Amino acid sequence: MSVLSFESVTLPGSDRPRLNAVSFSLDQGECAFLIGPNGAGKSSLLRLVLGLERATGGNVKLADRAVTELTPIERAARVAWLPQHLSFQDALTAREVVAIARYRFFESRDRALESAGQWLERVGAMALAQRRVTQLSGGEQQRVKLAALLAQEAPLLLLDEPANHLDPAQELEVYQLLRHEWQRGLSVLCVTHDINLVSVVGEPERVRLLGLMAGKLRFDTQLSDAAMVERLRDLYGIAFTEVVQTGDSRVFVPARLSTPEEGEP
Amino acid sequence: MRGVVLLVLVVLACGSAVLVGPDLGGDAGRFVVWQLRVPRMLVGVLVGAMLGLVGAAFQALFQNDLATPSTVGTTAGATLGALVALVFGVGGGVEVLPVTTAFAFVGALGTSALVGLVAMRGRARVSDVLLAGIAVTLASAALSQGIQAVADMRALFAAAQWSLGQLPQLGFGGVEVLAPIVLVSGALVLSQTRPLQALALGEELAHAQGVSVRRVRLLVLVGGALGVAACVAWCGPIAFVGLIVPHIVRRTTGPQLRTLLPLSALVGAGFLVACDTLARVVWSERELPVGVVTASVGAPALFWLVLRRS
Repeated sequence: MSVLSFESVTLPGSDRPRLNAVSFSLDQGECAFLIGPNGAGKSSLLRLVLGLERATGGNVKLADRAVTELTPIERAARVAWLPQHLSFQDALTAREVVAIARYRFFESRDRALESAGQWLERVGAMALAQRRVTQLSGGEQQRVKLAALLAQEAPLLLLDEPANHLDPAQELEVYQLLRHEWQRGLSVLCVTHDINLVSVVGEPERVRLLGLMAGKLRFDTQLSDAAMVERLRDLYGIAFTEVVQTGDSRVFVPARLSTPEEGEP
Repeated sequence: MRGVVLLVLVVLACGSAVLVGPDLGGDAGRFVVWQLRVPRMLVGVLVGAMLGLVGAAFQALFQNDLATPSTVGTTAGATLGALVALVFGVGGGVEVLPVTTAFAFVGALGTSALVGLVAMRGRARVSDVLLAGIAVTLASAALSQGIQAVADMRALFAAAQWSLGQLPQLGFGGVEVLAPIVLVSGALVLSQTRPLQALALGEELAHAQGVSVRRVRLLVLVGGALGVAACVAWCGPIAFVGLIVPHIVRRTTGPQLRTLLPLSALVGAGFLVACDTLARVVWSERELPVGVVTASVGAPALFWLVLRRS
């Protein structure tokens, strides 16, 4: 059963469409990464799923109901979102922030706080529960945001560059967490530039890659795709080479980095 | 604990509002205390609570420290509406206050609707809404001045007096009319505590978490407009309560709206009543308008808070 489907979706923009006849569907328990150059329309695609944008053509459906027909609570029960930019203004505690994400449940404040504690525990951030979010480091804040994402208990997670501005260890943690949640049965759609961290989440043949460029879906394949190097070149407009790995992971680097030419800076 | 301290301070403010001043003794003394000072103190409690609450709610709604009824057009619209009523003929006194309130409410709703036109657009930014509020405030203020310019001398004097902000001597009759309006409006605003709290993480995330952002904007703007309109009709535009009180409370008890909203109402009540007592006794010749006192106490206090933060 599909948790999310795009049927020939078009979203207008000022000079060209931000999305142009995009079609794909995501099944229950699937994990897909949305990649592509900046400005390709990746974030817009996520915003359509949340009803933050309205398509002028086609349909966006969450589990067979159009997003535009859902009430806010119904939508929040189907999909949760980790935005790319989220800065904490108010000096709330981490636990309070996560409890806010329980909005869709009509439960007591105590129940929400208790549940928030459990989700903080799950992302390994229980120690932060009473700390003020405005005083946490970037990596700690990201954990709190992930706990809030999970606390909404939606079957589909949308993440927009979840490891942005994190150090390599923290990046890895984020993708490992994503792996756990996916293995638990959640569906994942994640915008990312970290192609090389995708294999942290799952085996190359099980992880889907959607390539978006200039509002059009250029490919819809698995990480195991033999023609990945060509696809990445097509997507980003620069040559890539694959660094040979042992095991399941696949690593791609821009060609200029892998074979530096003599005499060039 | 800090909440208890605040409560004690507020009770002290209310007590001194009743007790401070010359004691005439006998029946005259009892009349002054029970028919003049107590109802006046109660009006101060209701108006101060309303202004403090709406100020805190608007700051949460617009996610901006500057958002208060005075800056997003509500007070200016209510002032315009009440001025129309005052200058063009409904007169003064308790019996016409509901009429003045209705005019003020229409004015406040009018400006709120204009600001709401911007706020209800799905993609409006908070800063756009604030800009619209400032534009509406300036326009209403200009219209208010225009009305005063064409008013006759007696109406002009009454309007000028009223527009300085003053707790009226209306007896319990005034309290009976004001209290239900304030309670309804306060209940409406307080009922939105949870969705308002969710806005702290940004409107888009709140939307994704299931909050109907348009609905919370609508209810808080209408509820706030009603309450502020009643306050303005009764007392004129009183500056600084809605701005400074939530700031002080936030520094004392943190940003949790669950405590911030009710405590802002509580502290607003105490602040206004204390300022009114000062206004009554600070100069023996005549009473000062309470608006003058709230501004001259509030402005330096706010300035000090800002200086200490930066």
